[in-house]
Amino acid sequence: MFDDFLIRKDSLKNVTHDGKTVGFCFGVRIADYRGCFLSLHNGYYISVDGVEYPREVQRFGINGKAPRTFEEIKKCCWEHWDFDDEGIVYVEKEGGLTPGVHRVGLQQSVLSQYGYMPWDEEWVKNPPVPGSGAGSGKTANICYYDLKLQEGEVEI
Amino acid sequence: MIKRGVSLYSYQQSQFFKKLDLKGQIREVREGLGTDGIEIIDEAAIPHYPFPSEEFIYDWHSYMARYRMKAVTMDVYMDVHQFRDHVMTHEEAAEHLKQDIMLAHKLGFRNVRTLVLVPTDVIEMCIPTAEKYDVRIGKEIHAPWPIKPGGQIKAQKGMAAVVNFRMVDELLELKERTHTDHIGLVPDFGIFQYRPSEVAIDYVKRHAKNPDAVDWILENAANYSHDEILTLVDEKFPGHGIPGSDVERMATHESSAKPEDIIDIIPHIISIHGKFYNMTEIPGQPGHYEDKCIDYETPMKYLRQYGYDGYIDSEFEGQRDQQDRGVEHLVDEVEQVRRHHEMLRRLSGE
Repeated sequence: MFDDFLIRKDSLKNVTHDGKTVGFCFGVRIADYRGCFLSLHNGYYISVDGVEYPREVQRFGINGKAPRTFEEIKKCCWEHWDFDDEGIVYVEKEGGLTPGVHRVGLQQSVLSQYGYMPWDEEWVKNPPVPGSGAGSGKTANICYYDLKLQEGEVEI
Repeated sequence: MIKRGVSLYSYQQSQFFKKLDLKGQIREVREGLGTDGIEIIDEAAIPHYPFPSEEFIYDWHSYMARYRMKAVTMDVYMDVHQFRDHVMTHEEAAEHLKQDIMLAHKLGFRNVRTLVLVPTDVIEMCIPTAEKYDVRIGKEIHAPWPIKPGGQIKAQKGMAAVVNFRMVDELLELKERTHTDHIGLVPDFGIFQYRPSEVAIDYVKRHAKNPDAVDWILENAANYSHDEILTLVDEKFPGHGIPGSDVERMATHESSAKPEDIIDIIPHIISIHGKFYNMTEIPGQPGHYEDKCIDYETPMKYLRQYGYDGYIDSEFEGQRDQQDRGVEHLVDEVEQVRRHHEMLRRLSGE
């Protein structure tokens, strides 16, 4: 669900730190009809122009706090990502993205489900790797977006 | 008497795009539909769930009073991976449900709806809380669950593998054993869906690598078991690119519950989900609408005949299959729910 709208179209920007361009970021919404406890958010499958950026180089900005890794997010058992709110996905990439339009592939992993499932213990030990479709919430396919890199960089 | 309400689930897309906020949704139910029943999704309607501000709670009561609305049912969840370092235990799940019951009470709700997969012992642990706060726990009967067991073959694959055909019986046994009037059932009209909706078929075809596989499932689902369909479609159409959950919904060829089975559970129903996907005008009947994949007529006849006294809350779900082709193809949720209420008024004899 919300296939065409999970990433805000005019949100792709490069990210700087200490005067150097260290990556890029974009705004996302939850692929569900409800929010979630933040701990359930398990990262993204992200590809840009065919290059994949795994969960280890991703951070997530939500609730007015500084971007956090998904290892930190995993511990936020009582913080909530509200349905109405946009989060920002930060991706490490030295030099950032080049100006122009980029093809971004996205699958969001949120481990919300409707009760006990046969794979529960396995998911505690080995959470699904985003992109496989497992743990992908209400939008199981990878969605693609042609996004123009916006002017101005985001300082973190 | 059959009363009309709306689960604000129906307006999820309008909320996503900031076209209709919580207050706008409530106002639409009063002014657009002329009725008073409100059902909410806790994690969509309540800012900062599960810790809403006192201001929100006051404002909610004030607004509901202004429009003379009734807080019917609050839909609550059970995310067993919340703690991530272990699977939530049944005791923890019960604590969560107790907190949700207390929150529902604070917001003036008469009922909470728990998911179909919530274990019976979790519900049992919450009965004292439900009684103390006078909030009834309604367990949902959601497709592919039946109302009564009756010769179904237990699937080994997919979502259908977790179906307990005796779920309703077990809940009613608990009710009898504990002599409580604070537990009951929330049937979802999706259990009377007998084929996939056109909007779902179109969506799955647009995303399948091989759309012929969808036609094959639609033509053959009635001839094979659930598990056989999942296996055969992989064999016949390698790389078809259809997620398992979509294969399952394309394979729907009979309703998961028999309409007549609703008769015996009517005294135990706390509220009903009026699930629908696509309301279209009935040919030859201008201004009258139907959902061509769900039998409303037969169950509604029984609800009237056997004196169901409670709400049917519209639950529109067709929007999610129409969000992959840009803003110009988004469906109008407000119009869909208005059509659904035309049908509800007509079939309930209002």
